[in-house]
Amino acid sequence: MNAENPKPIIVLENLVKIYRQGKLEVPAVRGVNLEIKSGEFTAISGPSGSGKTTVLNIIGALDDPTDGKVFVEGIHLASLSRSALSKLRRDRIGFVFQAYNLIPVLTAFENAEIVLALQGVAVKDRRERVMGLLADVGLEGMEHRRPDQLSGGQQQRVAIARAIASNPAVVLADEPTANVDSSTAEKLLSIMEKLNRKQHVTFVFSTHDQKVMDRARRIIHLVDGKISNDEIRE
Amino acid sequence: MRSTGMATMAWRNLRRNRRRTALTVFGISFGVLLAVIFTGIGDSSYADMIDLAARMGTGHVTVQHGDYLDTPSVSKTVTGTSKISALAARDENVKSISTRITGQVLLATSAASYGAAMLAIDPQKENKDTFALFDSVDEGAMFESGADKGIILGAKLAQNLDTKMGRKVVYTLTDKSGEIVSGLARVKGILRTGSQSVDAGLCILPIDTVRKTLGFDTDEATQVAVFLYDQRNSEKVAQRLKKTIGENAQVLTWDKSNPALAGFIGMKVSGTVIFEILILILIAAGIFNTIFVSVMERMREFGIMSAIGFSPTKIFSLVMWESLWIGIIGLISAAAITAYPYYLMATKGIDVSKMTGGEQSLEVAGVAMSPVIYADIYPQSILVICLAVFGATLLSGLYPAWRAGKVVPVESIKLV
Repeated sequence: MNAENPKPIIVLENLVKIYRQGKLEVPAVRGVNLEIKSGEFTAISGPSGSGKTTVLNIIGALDDPTDGKVFVEGIHLASLSRSALSKLRRDRIGFVFQAYNLIPVLTAFENAEIVLALQGVAVKDRRERVMGLLADVGLEGMEHRRPDQLSGGQQQRVAIARAIASNPAVVLADEPTANVDSSTAEKLLSIMEKLNRKQHVTFVFSTHDQKVMDRARRIIHLVDGKISNDEIRE
Repeated sequence: MRSTGMATMAWRNLRRNRRRTALTVFGISFGVLLAVIFTGIGDSSYADMIDLAARMGTGHVTVQHGDYLDTPSVSKTVTGTSKISALAARDENVKSISTRITGQVLLATSAASYGAAMLAIDPQKENKDTFALFDSVDEGAMFESGADKGIILGAKLAQNLDTKMGRKVVYTLTDKSGEIVSGLARVKGILRTGSQSVDAGLCILPIDTVRKTLGFDTDEATQVAVFLYDQRNSEKVAQRLKKTIGENAQVLTWDKSNPALAGFIGMKVSGTVIFEILILILIAAGIFNTIFVSVMERMREFGIMSAIGFSPTKIFSLVMWESLWIGIIGLISAAAITAYPYYLMATKGIDVSKMTGGEQSLEVAGVAMSPVIYADIYPQSILVICLAVFGATLLSGLYPAWRAGKVVPVESIKLV
């Protein structure tokens, strides 16, 4: 990787998303053009209904654009089959959801391990990797706890470990601090910031939390489905 | 993820709503219990009926003259019965072989005359395994040899003829050349079976005496009855015998020589199959309900799985694993709850004589049956039931699994 001029890992070209409710058309995204480079710690902000979550969903191959193109690591998402999109999400994209969304029947360890297991990584290697990640997010000794035995903040840490376990190109975090108190939010952000700085994990947040925006090195502000401001901080 | 991992997840998913899983498992178990008991009763009673019918005269496999089945007559004989018996005895499925003369006879005493069915046997080669009435002589005794001068009459027939033990009876037959021939015998025994057709319409005579009366060779009879260890091998044995005997005689399985019984059993088996299909549908509906409700409740979870990289196939297989587990637990549980009732049915049975007016035997398609119903299921039937339940379990899971696999993450997670 060229640290001085890294390649864009995400490219959005004239992205449009219109939701249809019967005969009513609700435009959520109106012609967004965007490049996100490897190693960025980017926040997409904006008021409710501005289209930030929709953009995140489309980047994450969870939703299709109505028009425009989306490239992840140079791959045009529209050219991929359903199973290829699953594979892309598994191997190249990590997700952190607002509501944690851990699999309730799996332990913390198993939740963090599952993507590696899906990839067919050897048991020994994935154990080593997951134990290291759980230690990085401060969950040592809690590997065997199920989600219902963890606090909200702890669950979100497991979700972060799960998201980065497979060394994805980008982690998409949708309002990751919305369901935790401010102290826990600060800790979670510190963890993600540390992972970004030390392991060069690319993070893209959808947020309207000031704490996230304070730490982000790039803030893309959306209003009514359009980029109103794209600020890069050094 | 390796399949064991999917199996573990599926197992844990079933434990999330234990009451629902337990109810489904109970439904499967109860269905299997019903299927096993009813099939066991069918297997047991049909085998008993077939064996009893075989021991009443025809054997499981019968070798007789080609025209005897359509126009039974003592003139339609098979010769070389010793050779036929020797050929049949080579088959490992054959338990015993009897040579008999069967036909119609006119019996006369000083008081009355009656027509009856005649069965001429060699008492030294028969026993209760080849001849169901061997031990049914209520008064008197079985013949001592094939050349005995006695006759054994059904109780009602003896009453109609107004005769008793030791009295003379003249039996009249038509020989091979169409001439009327007669023999004199003394009543040596009275049969009392409870079967109207036997008690009122059958007489037993010693075979050598009848051969002499009819002018038969010592190696000539109307029938060679072949008895098997297991009636299900009838067709196989008949085919082999047909090849060795050739065109000299007709080889019939029990269902061909006793079409009334075969028709009755066929009808009952069809009823049992329909009943089992209904049970299977109920089981499948129960499992489908459980899996489908469970899947619909977890669509958000499947959406998350899809989002983090579970392929549609993986999600499909996860739900199928859940179906598989339900099937496995259901069958194990079924074995546990079926064992004791089946044991009771196999050893003690149910006495239905009170429901049938106190009769100690029931006549079905001309065969006198015991009023005690037992269950004795064939291993193959158990295998079929298990496979059918397993198949139903997997089939029931297919649609819910397909629905789960088709999950659209963004719609189920509702991030928007």
